Amino acid sequence: MTQRLYGIMAEFRTPRALTEAVRAAQRSGFTKIDAFSPFPLTDLARELGVRTTVIPWIALVAALIGAALQYGSQYWMNVVDYPLNVGGRPLNSWPAFIPSTLIVAILWAGAATLLGLLLILRLPRLHHPVFAVPDFARVSEDRFFLCILSSDPLFDPDSSRRFLETLSPEAVREVPACG
Amino acid sequence: MSSVAQSSTSPVADVALSRRFGSMWWIALLASGALVLLLGYTLISVALLGVGVWGVNIPFVWGFDLINYAWWIGIANGASLFAAILVLRRHDLRTSVNRFAEGVAFFAVICAGIFPIVHLGRPWLFYWTFPYPATFQVWPQFRSTLTWDFWAISTHVVVTSLLWYVGLIPDLATLRDRARRRTVKRIYGILALGWRGSVIHWAYHQRAYRLVAILVLPLILVMQSTVAFEFAVTLVPDWHETRQPLHFVATGLAQGLSIVLLVAMLLRWGLRLGRYIDEEDIDLLGRLVLASALVSGYLYLDEFISALLADGLTREATISRMTGSEAGLYWTAIVYSVVIPQLFWMKAARQSTVAGVFVGFSIGVGIWFDRFSIIVGGLQTDYLPSIERTYSPTLVETGLFLGTIGLFTALLLLFVRFLPVVSMFETRHDEHQEKSS
Amino acid sequence: MSEDAPFDLDALAARLAAEDGPRLWRSLEELADRPELRRLMEAEFPDVFEASSVDRRTLLRLMSASLALGGLAACNGGDAGSHAPLLSQSRNMPGYTPGVPVTIATSLPLNGFGRGVLVKSQEGRPIKIEGNPLHPASLGATDVFAQAEILSLYDPDRSDTPLQDGSPRRWEELTRFIRPVRNELVVGEGRGLHILMAPTSSPTLHRLISYTRELFPHAQWHVFTPIDDDARRAAVLDGFGRDLDFVYDLTQADTIVTLGGDLFAEEPGHLRYAADYQKRRRMRDRELPRLFAIETRPSLVGARADERIVLRPRDVDAFVRGLAASLEAGVAPAPDVHPSVPRLAELLRRAGPRCLVVAGREMPSEVHALALAINTRLGAFGTTIRAIEPVRPIIDGAQTLHDLAKAIEADQVSHLLVLGGNPAYTAPADLDLPSLIRRVPHSLHLGQHRDETASVCRWHVPETHPLESWGDLRAFDGTVGLRQPATMPLKPALSAEEFLGLMAGQTVDGQGLVQATWREVWGEGFEARWARSLEDGVVDGSALPSIDIAWRSDWRPEPAAPVSSGGIDVVFAPDPSVWDGSYANNGWLQELPKPLTKQVWGNAALIAPETADIFGISSGDAIDLTVEGRVIRAPVWVMPGHAPAAVTLTLGYGRQQAGRIGNQIGFDAYAVRPSRRPWIATGEIKVAGQRIPLISTQHHHALQGRDIIRVVAPGQDTPQDSDDRPSLYPEWPYEEHAWGMAIDLDACIGCNACVIACQAENNIAVVGPEEVAKGREMHWLRVDRYHSGEPADPSTYFQPVPCMHCEKAPCEVVCPVNATVHSSEGLNDMVYNRCIGTRTCSNNCPYKVRRFNFLDYQGTDYTPSADAMNPQVTVRDRGVMEKCTYCVQRIGAARAGARVEDRRLRDGEVMTACQQACPTQAIVFGDVNDPDSAVSRLKKDRRSYALLGDLNTQPRTTYLARIEIPAEEG
Repeated sequence: MTQRLYGIMAEFRTPRALTEAVRAAQRSGFTKIDAFSPFPLTDLARELGVRTTVIPWIALVAALIGAALQYGSQYWMNVVDYPLNVGGRPLNSWPAFIPSTLIVAILWAGAATLLGLLLILRLPRLHHPVFAVPDFARVSEDRFFLCILSSDPLFDPDSSRRFLETLSPEAVREVPACG
Repeated sequence: MSSVAQSSTSPVADVALSRRFGSMWWIALLASGALVLLLGYTLISVALLGVGVWGVNIPFVWGFDLINYAWWIGIANGASLFAAILVLRRHDLRTSVNRFAEGVAFFAVICAGIFPIVHLGRPWLFYWTFPYPATFQVWPQFRSTLTWDFWAISTHVVVTSLLWYVGLIPDLATLRDRARRRTVKRIYGILALGWRGSVIHWAYHQRAYRLVAILVLPLILVMQSTVAFEFAVTLVPDWHETRQPLHFVATGLAQGLSIVLLVAMLLRWGLRLGRYIDEEDIDLLGRLVLASALVSGYLYLDEFISALLADGLTREATISRMTGSEAGLYWTAIVYSVVIPQLFWMKAARQSTVAGVFVGFSIGVGIWFDRFSIIVGGLQTDYLPSIERTYSPTLVETGLFLGTIGLFTALLLLFVRFLPVVSMFETRHDEHQEKSS
Repeated sequence: MSEDAPFDLDALAARLAAEDGPRLWRSLEELADRPELRRLMEAEFPDVFEASSVDRRTLLRLMSASLALGGLAACNGGDAGSHAPLLSQSRNMPGYTPGVPVTIATSLPLNGFGRGVLVKSQEGRPIKIEGNPLHPASLGATDVFAQAEILSLYDPDRSDTPLQDGSPRRWEELTRFIRPVRNELVVGEGRGLHILMAPTSSPTLHRLISYTRELFPHAQWHVFTPIDDDARRAAVLDGFGRDLDFVYDLTQADTIVTLGGDLFAEEPGHLRYAADYQKRRRMRDRELPRLFAIETRPSLVGARADERIVLRPRDVDAFVRGLAASLEAGVAPAPDVHPSVPRLAELLRRAGPRCLVVAGREMPSEVHALALAINTRLGAFGTTIRAIEPVRPIIDGAQTLHDLAKAIEADQVSHLLVLGGNPAYTAPADLDLPSLIRRVPHSLHLGQHRDETASVCRWHVPETHPLESWGDLRAFDGTVGLRQPATMPLKPALSAEEFLGLMAGQTVDGQGLVQATWREVWGEGFEARWARSLEDGVVDGSALPSIDIAWRSDWRPEPAAPVSSGGIDVVFAPDPSVWDGSYANNGWLQELPKPLTKQVWGNAALIAPETADIFGISSGDAIDLTVEGRVIRAPVWVMPGHAPAAVTLTLGYGRQQAGRIGNQIGFDAYAVRPSRRPWIATGEIKVAGQRIPLISTQHHHALQGRDIIRVVAPGQDTPQDSDDRPSLYPEWPYEEHAWGMAIDLDACIGCNACVIACQAENNIAVVGPEEVAKGREMHWLRVDRYHSGEPADPSTYFQPVPCMHCEKAPCEVVCPVNATVHSSEGLNDMVYNRCIGTRTCSNNCPYKVRRFNFLDYQGTDYTPSADAMNPQVTVRDRGVMEKCTYCVQRIGAARAGARVEDRRLRDGEVMTACQQACPTQAIVFGDVNDPDSAVSRLKKDRRSYALLGDLNTQPRTTYLARIEIPAEEG
């Protein structure tokens, strides 16, 4: 085997098959594995040890920053930088400053969450080894894939392939790493 | 070369990928394109000559510009609100409706966004509402509802468009993978950002999507209230009412729902999506529309009663809006937005495409007249009798309105042509869950 | 002509004539250094060049004084030049700095009488007219016509070249025409020469007239004005046996009865009378005067009156007879008297010498005679009335317009000279003057416009505007005001004085002519008096003395003519906006809402609601009105308080050749005006079944029971509600000044002077009929007019509404870009270049005083010349909101002045334009921080209240309730 591998990938027909395969892989000690499916498999993700609690935190922090900035700038502009007598209202008319503060908080939360998401997922990434796998295109429709990454300490091209074949997949293919 | 899958959602994808797409679509697109040209013409004439080409005057400083703005933003907010609620409730209806509900919201907010700019006396200076020291190092005036509205609209555009796009990514990936022609594959590939359906990605994606969808909920409430504040904070007797925000939110929701229903019916009929938007969904939509219409009805009643209880001038003003020279607007609004939807008490009506289109349309019309009645009829009675005048719209204003409708339709047509109108991955997900349960 | 061509005055004049006004100055500048001009000047003004130290400036003055007349100068045999400056003394005073406006005192004519004014001139461009406080007919106030003269001065349609049969001629061609004609007339001693002019009070004109008559003994003079006082004159001649004018002193009057007319708007002393009446009302030590208006058409005096008695013109005679009878004024008691006659008689008797009965000029001579008889009977002469020599002396042997018409028909007129005016338009239709004038072989018209008369005369000669030329005018009481130019002639033209001077073989230098007049009068010490009179604008002590007169003891009124029952009374009246039509081409006046109807850009036939019901028509319905066989179609205006079975037509509309603004607006009432009964005729109404849109700025006139206009009984308070209004907002400190305004509704007579003064001061755009019809007029200050009570005879209230400059301004809070904010002195500032035009401020203004530039209103046909603009005030761009600024530019100027002198601003130092124009001091502006300022005192007055005060916007502009004597007190 001269060519460097990204991993070895098994193709399945059903989510259940994928789930069992993942469990089996974990039982036999593989840690660096990835699963692919046409729709969200939340439970499986949990078994793969994904914790998404960072998302709401991003939203919360962003919202707070946004709100603080918006109210702060309103205060600074109206009270500090350019105080003006507008309709005899107090310089710091806090009730009137609330609505845009609220809105901007949401703006920051929303934008930060969605952009943060892409950041976490390292997207956009138009070129990825798995795309080289024939038939992988069907992952976006009706096929499920399990991939054991070459970075896994237990990874060995032959044994890993044999292991995957024991899971009665549609097919097992090597995923060449990009040069 | 990989074999091509034939999954449950393939037809949806194939709609977007198909090479040819019925002559009806072309005719519709040309028609709306013509209206967009009309929009351009009216916009140019306003830019060159000034808002004097409209029927506006003192005291009727606002005419179709604000009427249409309030109407479009109502549609946008209503549709978003509805979509957000569905996501929040994890309701099955979302799989079939959310995608184009969000689409409708997005296109409507684009149409709405035109008016705050074009209604200005000096539209080329619209950017002075941005928080930067424009003239004499003066900042915007943050106590103004218009400033609130500026923030609300921009937030609405940013958040809803982002949300919509992020929701689209996995389906774009599907299109990428199904596309045969290289260029098409490229385009969808780029738009899909290299989505590869990793279970881990799915988890984050779902969490973020749901979270933002929920954030939209308060945003919409605040924004629609802001629109209402533009009238409620003024001293105009008929406008200066705490009930305005409620009225705008509720009627806005009815409006959004009605347009969603309208579009749903047309899509079902036009793209034969009966399978994805099934009887049940339609029936449910119908019930919601009916319910929202009843709520508007209740609010009209409340308006009437609170007017009777109000002090002299406010009462006089509201009564004159209901009975005065502009009373036609008010009653048209009630007939179209409250009375006609009562058809939906009948299941048959809820199921029938024609009835659905008709009711959806009539609520849209009704709420438009409601905004007309508020903005024009509400100014009939003012503090000083000496300044009472009348307002009559000009052709340019009407052209502007039709133009935005054209723009909206055109965007909608392009959307159904090139994007999956229902969320494919959500559909798969549901089917999977149904199987597993 | 080429540079090296022989240079003569005619050619130069011709070239100047070809130039348009504004360039005249420049062309003079260019010319001033050219050798051939110096040669010319030496020839023309040798005396100056003998002094041989002629500076460039003097040269310019000399030229401008005579260049425009150059062509004619040649024809009256070498006229000696004059050293005198064109512009006023003040302009040349040491310390004159460019950029600082100069004030020039002068007089403006209206119907031959003078009103003293001060012209604010910026770099030689008049930009604003104020009243002259020293002038008895003004006392510092102005009427709408005086204010609008600025726009008339810069009227682009003003005639600038002579015309022969309608085609332009060079000045020397005119010269070539006049020279022989004049000589042959001199030889013929003026046989066949007829001169038509309006009655004038100008001593200089009368001097020149007598000179001319010496030169042309057989020339026949005709005097005509459409706004004549023939009826009064007839009555005076009958009762006093001689011609007289009357001066009323309303400060002395306790009971005033006006019979028609409009004491506050149409009499020569109207400004003074309005002021005096208010002065009388303000006298705390005396009980309020009673003012009764017996009238057919609602008038300003009627609106202000304690009681209006609405009568058809044909019933007025009987009414006054009854009144006279019950006052034993030598009239046999009439059988049936009007119910209110006894009460009125009682009040008049009680007032005794402090009574005043005034008949309007439209009344028949019997009514005038009866009025005078009552005044005489009660001894009013000496207290409330003075008799003086006629201010506009009769040219003896002068004939009327009829006589001219007859003479032309008899082919006795070979030469007709029309000096000013526009008789072809203003003459009663049945004379058919235009075609008559066409029959005259040689006719020449001197006028400011190429108007209807110009088009029927063989020759037309441009006449100068009063602000461009020299002259003198007597006020209603005879006081002389010198008329001096406030600018170089914008267009080459001649004044009437100069033209007569030319005919009389005098100099054609207007100043010389006027000086000559007064040299005769003053003799010694002329120079000093002349200088002072120019500075003051009035010749002090020139008021005509009272003369003792005796009412004919054997006077008996003609027996009352039997009151005919048929037909509709047709009353003709001067128009409050365009007077007799001479102001038709003035955009400010055309767009000025008429005080009582608020109609703009047109006139209407005023009828009573009752009449409207009978014919089943409403405002805007056209009627065909037949008077003595002539028919016009006119839209009706249903006027509450108008007498039934009568219709009022205002003159001055339906012009065909007024200019680009005044043409084809409204209908021409002259077309049905009978020459025998020019003021009150009988006619028939037929419904035309057509609608003619009327444009008005106010569509609702009922108070609708709202607390907008407050009325109190004498000595009574208005409910003080303004104190107990808590506010969540902080009090903003105003250390220096805090500007405020108080408007006294008891003083306001609704005359509109403030509105047009504001327009002139603040460069307010004229938007034209179409835009006003859409509700887009731009006036910063509007005068709201409300009716209350029976439509047949309602009370009428006027309420000037400027920006209220609210402490808690609602408009400011909703502006997204801080384009309207509060100043450190509490002004509600509008920052034009910051405004993006959301118009939401107007939405939030409960007074709706904000105005928006919906289109580019400063680039239309209605836009006045840039020269007329006040350089201190920004000209607003399209898409920008604007509104009353309390004349912030005046505040700034005053503040600067005070700083220079290192002192605080004095109270009354800052006057807003509206305040300054107001004849009754109804508007008071000042510093509310200063407890002793006039405005602060007024705001403490018990009548003071805030409009819409319960909104708690805390307006800086407040009102004082109107005082009305409760009806039951009789």
